[in-house]
Amino acid sequence: MIIQTRKFGNIDVAEEKVLTMPVGLAGFPGRKRFVLLEREDSRPFCWFQSADDPNLSLVVMNPFLFKPDYRVELKAAIKEMSWEGDPLADMVVYVVLTVNEGGPYRITANLIGPIVINTRKREAVQLVIYDSPYSLQHPVMEQPPPPHQKAVGG
Amino acid sequence: MLVLTRKIGERIKIGDDIVVSVLEISKGTVRLGVEAPKRVPIHRHEVYERIQEENVKAAQGEFADLEAAVQLFRKKGLKE
Repeated sequence: MIIQTRKFGNIDVAEEKVLTMPVGLAGFPGRKRFVLLEREDSRPFCWFQSADDPNLSLVVMNPFLFKPDYRVELKAAIKEMSWEGDPLADMVVYVVLTVNEGGPYRITANLIGPIVINTRKREAVQLVIYDSPYSLQHPVMEQPPPPHQKAVGG
Repeated sequence: MLVLTRKIGERIKIGDDIVVSVLEISKGTVRLGVEAPKRVPIHRHEVYERIQEENVKAAQGEFADLEAAVQLFRKKGLKE
């Protein structure tokens, strides 16, 4: 099927790549079909693109690349989504990134609202993690080293 | 807004299949139990609102700096 996107124009995506979000995506009522667009030249960043709204796309990434100790409790999601019995190996976790002005070091990730995709069922849900130490705006890049300072005086 | 007074142990029914019970009240805090069908999302409003706002903000980001961010990641040797 052809999906219109503002960033990449019209893209041909296999039907079975379309993910359904039965409970939707917070902030975008009515948008329930998405595709995950991965492009070699923008790895590790991917796009979570609405199949119905060319203007709606979120940049997402694998959180374990910058926060290896990140943990997401999937029990509640599995129950809510009726995913009981589906292998955990079929579930992948992405986090939504926000770009703030001021360059790549200001990119932050929402660690309390991860998107969990069940690749077998082709469904997705954005979790809300309560009472966790995680931040809504976790910096993705380690801060740059301070600029090299020349020895002064002597 | 409909305003109802309920005592501990009393419940409110919303529609056909949602029941809210008052479980405990103490020191300005009330504990509620919510029974609802699966796939009816139930959230603490203020946290959900923040996620909503962050999603909207994320969708507005232009990601002009993505190329630079990609380079930074590659330099660090992070690979999927």
